[in-house]
Amino acid sequence: MSVLFYHRKKIRLFMWILLVIAAVLSAWLCFLMISQSGYYEERAEDLHERERVIKAARGRILDRNGVVLADNQLVCTVTVIHNQITDPERVIKVLSETLKLDEAFVRERVEKVSSIEKIRSNVPKSVGDEIRSYKLDGVNVDEDYARYYPYGQLASKVLGFTGADNQGIIGLEVKYDEYLAGTAGAILTTTDVRGLEVENTAEKRIEPENGSDLYISLDYNIQAWCQQIADKMLEQKAAKGVSIVLMNPQNGEIYAMVNAPEFNLNEPYVLTGAIAADEALADLSDNDKLNQMWRNASINDTYEPGSTFKIITATAALEEKAVRLDDAFFCPGFKIVEDRRIRCHKTGGHGAQTFLQGFMNSCNPVFIDVGARAGTDAMYDYFEKLGLFEKTGVDLPGESASIMHKKENIGAVELATISFGQSFQITPMQLLRAVSAIVNGGELVTPHFAVRTVSADGSDVEAFQYEVSDSGISEETCETLKMMLEKVVSEGTGNKAYIEGYRIGGKTATSQKLPRGSGKYIASFLGFAPADDPQVIGIILIDEPEGAYYGGTIAAPVMKEIYENVLPYLIS
Amino acid sequence: MEKNQIQTVKAPLKRRSARKHRQERFFDYSLFFIVIFLVCFGLVMIYSTTAYTSSIENNGDSYYYVFRQGLLALLGFVGAIVISRFDYHFFAKFAFFAYIVMLIIQILTPFIGVGSESHGQSRWIAIGPIQFQPSEVSKVALILFLAFVCSRTVKSLHTFGGIIKVFLLAAPMVFVVVLTNLSTAMILLGITFVIVFVASDRYKPFVAIIGLCIVGLVAGLLMFSYRMGRITAWLNVETDDYAYQIRQSLYAIGSGGIFGKGLGQSIQKLDYLPEAHNDMIFGIICEELGLFGAVAIILLFVLLLWRCMIIANNAPDLFGALLVVGIMTQIGIQAFINIAVATNFIPNTGITLPFISYGGTSVAILVCEIGLVLGVSRQIRMEG
Repeated sequence: MSVLFYHRKKIRLFMWILLVIAAVLSAWLCFLMISQSGYYEERAEDLHERERVIKAARGRILDRNGVVLADNQLVCTVTVIHNQITDPERVIKVLSETLKLDEAFVRERVEKVSSIEKIRSNVPKSVGDEIRSYKLDGVNVDEDYARYYPYGQLASKVLGFTGADNQGIIGLEVKYDEYLAGTAGAILTTTDVRGLEVENTAEKRIEPENGSDLYISLDYNIQAWCQQIADKMLEQKAAKGVSIVLMNPQNGEIYAMVNAPEFNLNEPYVLTGAIAADEALADLSDNDKLNQMWRNASINDTYEPGSTFKIITATAALEEKAVRLDDAFFCPGFKIVEDRRIRCHKTGGHGAQTFLQGFMNSCNPVFIDVGARAGTDAMYDYFEKLGLFEKTGVDLPGESASIMHKKENIGAVELATISFGQSFQITPMQLLRAVSAIVNGGELVTPHFAVRTVSADGSDVEAFQYEVSDSGISEETCETLKMMLEKVVSEGTGNKAYIEGYRIGGKTATSQKLPRGSGKYIASFLGFAPADDPQVIGIILIDEPEGAYYGGTIAAPVMKEIYENVLPYLIS
Repeated sequence: MEKNQIQTVKAPLKRRSARKHRQERFFDYSLFFIVIFLVCFGLVMIYSTTAYTSSIENNGDSYYYVFRQGLLALLGFVGAIVISRFDYHFFAKFAFFAYIVMLIIQILTPFIGVGSESHGQSRWIAIGPIQFQPSEVSKVALILFLAFVCSRTVKSLHTFGGIIKVFLLAAPMVFVVVLTNLSTAMILLGITFVIVFVASDRYKPFVAIIGLCIVGLVAGLLMFSYRMGRITAWLNVETDDYAYQIRQSLYAIGSGGIFGKGLGQSIQKLDYLPEAHNDMIFGIICEELGLFGAVAIILLFVLLLWRCMIIANNAPDLFGALLVVGIMTQIGIQAFINIAVATNFIPNTGITLPFISYGGTSVAILVCEIGLVLGVSRQIRMEG
């Protein structure tokens, strides 16, 4: 049987069909590889590229004079790549010795078949360099930044610290995280399915953008001095805590904020001795203990201000013209309000006195009268004007709000106790801000730390603006109050804060801690200088002092000690 | 029989100007060298695709795959040369025998076979250390069988009944294979169709058969819903979970662009593209050699098929012509389906790229088949 014509015809037909198929496939390939090429290439690169993050250096925190309070230091991360290790025994030996790690721990990681295994991070650079000097195959030492606080405990509760991913955890570090953090960069490398880098492929590098430096109003010298004194008081008075805040009453810049006992910012997860020994915290978990340790008492905690609050009562009464400085009062040592007998701190009574004398003596019955004369509405009106119902707006996280009676629930007894600073709670910062408004001529400032941020290359400077509002307190009342407060220090209960050659105004307080009768007190003193043109205002609180607990006796001398050094330094 | 039908042999076959006295034997060197080139090119590509993964899997031995493939290809070429020396009519004697034997082996494969690593179904038979896919041999057996049968019963192929009879003869093999390997069954059906189509002088019955096949295909898809997965994967290649392989192939093809990344520069072969050295090798060819390389490969296959057509058209008798047509069909269908799958032109089905894809038995038998074609070409008598 030979090949016939129609056979050949059909073979040729079949060939034509194959040719058409080949042509169609070629055209399809042209479509895929020319017009669709970019799309698929992009998709493929997304798939192939692995990102190795380059951390951005976090911005520093500097005080008002440029002293670096929070810095970065180079540390190393040591990793091993299983496939590249040629001498595992040596690697295990060197790493366990230099990093002071358990040999079994290192062995497990070295022998694990994985693309990359982390041995240890935050290794000091010197140790990293040492490991590098061994030139071990498959061992990587990558440099990295870690937060470093040169002064350890200095302003620990203000500055705050950062976590493993360089993110702020508390304090200014978290408040200004977006400025400080910067933007991480990346190294894009081509890898196989297992994530191993492919040799001889181009690396793409996206440079990190370092964080901005944060300049704050804190003054290293003042802070260090206050902290030293706070620590001394803590020990002398066996107190639970000592808080000191120094601020410029004119603009709200905070010079110092101490909340002793402070903790070491370089070891924020190590409980301080005070916290570990505190029996009241014994039942808490470690995490809760840490939270207690990190608390910033000046803004996170409220207290009954006690006598320092008489400044506010006096302001309200004077502004309302409910009382004049020479109005006469009589203090028998107590005052009966409705069915309550409210005692004065001077059991025998202050006898006959003017309002000014009653203020200087910090006499409770006088203020019960004055408060009653002003009335609840006026009192609350001025509380509001002086910002006691709102947060101060200080640029630290977790600020507490005040705990006040509801206006409609205030009877004579409540009004009486409010008048001399009891039965409600505010933060020390709120009181400092309210008194600042009185002594600066009526301007309600926003207490703050952050002054400006400067980008890493210095090109971009952002200055922060803070709200200043008019409280509505008259100039006249402000002047009167300044005079009264100066008299308290020069002649009254605050005389232990008196410094020759300086005009200092202030007010003492001794607050009973709840529950009443527990014998626990907060001794405090609020003072400013110079009295005629206040440049600095400060508050000191000594929490649960042992022995003498009167504000005038133990807190006022501390403020004197602070001002003796700070005033010549600040007011030149 | 019609002895003196068209006897003219085409001019291109006349290679030498100085004719010798003895009957000149034609040997299609172009075909031979195209095949040698394809196989060698395949070895290069297999090395390129497997060097990296192989050195990871086989303790640094990057030559594992290419060595095995090369060895079997060499065996194939030895076989091909030997086979081409035989008069192909010799093999006609075994047509029935081979068909029956392969049919039995195919029936037994699911029971005595070993599961292949990748597909789970038993398509492999192990004889000592050698594993091979009997379906590769079955294709040859079917071609031989059908070429023989059709060349003998060519008159009966005038009628529809005659055509159906031949189809029924091939049906058992197709049916047995379809149980384990749909793709191969489709190739077997294609081979049957083309051989019978060429042998018969009719057209209409074949149009009807195609229609029937399409109906059968649709019915089959509806009946076996798991096959529908391939269709949805084909249509939603960017998102479907089952389209991962084809998606990766498209990434490879697309990122090749016009000129490719250069030989050895593929990234997709680093285990991103499953079966990169096997079914999906065309994707890597595209990625490394670009559109030019890919079209060059298509052209080489076209050229190879063209040479087969020339040989078939000039074969001394219908048996030889159908033999060549069968082999041509097998190579053509496999190559184009493979390329169409890799480029997501048609739904996924596991067919290797002839001569190039990794697969020892496949390449050895394919080269032997070319030996058969060359054997036919040697029987062509040169005329003045």
